[in-house]
Amino acid sequence: MFAFSSNRPTLPEDLVAILRPVALAKSRMLPLGEPWGSLVPNGGLRRGSTVVVQAQPGLGGLSLALSLLTESSARGHWSAVVGVDDPGVVAMADLGVDLRRVLFVPRPRGAWAESAADLLDGVDLLIVRPPSRASHGAARRLIDRVRERGTVLIVLAEPASLWPLPADLSFDITNAQWATSSRLDARYLTVRIGGRGEAVRAGEHVVVLPNRRGRCEAN
Amino acid sequence: MERLLAIWIEALCEEAPDGSTLRDHLALLDALSVLCPFTESVRLGLFVLPIRGPSRFFGGEAAVMENVRATIVELTGHEPSLGIADGLFCAEMCARRALVLEPGATESFRRSLPLSALGRKDVATTCQRLGLHTVGSFADLDIARVGERFNKQALVLQRIARGELFELDGQRDLKLATRLRQLRGEEDTRDEQLGFFGQRGAGDDRAEAAAHRVRRRLGVDAVVVASLRGGRVPEDRAALVPWGSPKSVIRDVAPWPGQMRAPSPATSLTRPVAVQLRDGNDHPVVMGVRGFLSEAPTTLLFSHQLRREVIWYAGPWPLVERWWSLNRRRAHVQVLLVSGEALLLTAESSRWWLAGIYD
Repeated sequence: MFAFSSNRPTLPEDLVAILRPVALAKSRMLPLGEPWGSLVPNGGLRRGSTVVVQAQPGLGGLSLALSLLTESSARGHWSAVVGVDDPGVVAMADLGVDLRRVLFVPRPRGAWAESAADLLDGVDLLIVRPPSRASHGAARRLIDRVRERGTVLIVLAEPASLWPLPADLSFDITNAQWATSSRLDARYLTVRIGGRGEAVRAGEHVVVLPNRRGRCEAN
Repeated sequence: MERLLAIWIEALCEEAPDGSTLRDHLALLDALSVLCPFTESVRLGLFVLPIRGPSRFFGGEAAVMENVRATIVELTGHEPSLGIADGLFCAEMCARRALVLEPGATESFRRSLPLSALGRKDVATTCQRLGLHTVGSFADLDIARVGERFNKQALVLQRIARGELFELDGQRDLKLATRLRQLRGEEDTRDEQLGFFGQRGAGDDRAEAAAHRVRRRLGVDAVVVASLRGGRVPEDRAALVPWGSPKSVIRDVAPWPGQMRAPSPATSLTRPVAVQLRDGNDHPVVMGVRGFLSEAPTTLLFSHQLRREVIWYAGPWPLVERWWSLNRRRAHVQVLLVSGEALLLTAESSRWWLAGIYD
């Protein structure tokens, strides 16, 4: 009765936010730091989904993929990086990745898909850089496993190693522009975010990655 | 600094051959933990506990000390010597003298201590010959002078003397906790290898199992973990070790003068690739002894076929390191290619190397 009466007392907004039941979908999401949190649907990465980061070699694809790890890593989730030969540890630390909870498999020697599958059970986020274009079958098997295990797979694709399947969420770096002074200062990445399912606010966004402190921020 | 109650029991300092010392110690630790859950056994015969909480609970520091004294006498029959001061070092010194310092009196107490309290004979003798007899007079010495005369540990001692650090180097017995745990029958389950990841959780176990699987598939050093250590340039600061290696003790905590600032390359080559830098006339760009480039670079050559135009460069930032042993001279240059890629190059032994890619 009380709930339907028109003159029911209103609660302050901040209290309402606390009292509102936590959406169950939240537990199926891994958090994303800013600026990505406000650019992707639900502000996070859905467990079991595949994210493809696509860029020309050397134009910030790796930095972008690593920047997707930061928030989850800071909250204690484990992540793994497969196929990145020489990870820039300092850059990762600058981005805010907690290095204590990252496993690297730098040189999987042709067994990148198998290594990735092995790691899926153990980590919450997995960055994979396939050395060449992945076969349809291998990609399909990996994605099925990802969906089953509730991990987030982040594929780092370059024009020579395109991901053969559609992604749930894709980041496409179309342009990279460095701001310089007496040294490299910051890089402005133009990123096209796309995906399927819930309407992604598709479109091009400019983010600063890395900025002068090595972090990722909105333009 | 936290106000500590130190409990010094002379009779328990020397270990008796029948093992009774350790048993008494354990019993005391358990009993004192009931009075204050944060009680620590620092060494044989020395316990400390933060006094602030208990003194509120029991109604004053005197009441806590009375309780502690009664507990110890009842359990072991030994009369303890109690002292209260800020920081472990001063608290122990007070306990040995059965002194309770007023809040704020620690500073003057520490300065009035004899130099021998710091536990370094050579420092004490040398300073005494110079007419310095107290910790305070040692603290007032110029840091640079102390560094010249003594080694690094003496600088740590001086920081203790100045009240910037609170613990002497061998004041804690690190093995005691393990021994007490063994005595209690608890197995020390923490493996040296697993300690790498800090405290454990379910996620850590899963990650570990996954790492094991990959290792079985690809070999022992296939899975790598990273940490930071001190250094100026990114390639020095990164420590990549196979997963399962013993935990490294050196951590990047202190500020490092001359450190290259962010952004750092997202790809940092562990084995640098030899490249060539050419100027506008296609002559090699060389680094002079004064740290200047001979000409502005315009072309970067990976090989004869693979050459890229350089549109901008910054640096060089020269590094002369360890002239007393390695005599390593390096310089770093950032270049921006026409394709938009940014690279970090190193000049060493009159050659250019690709050290990192701002990927």
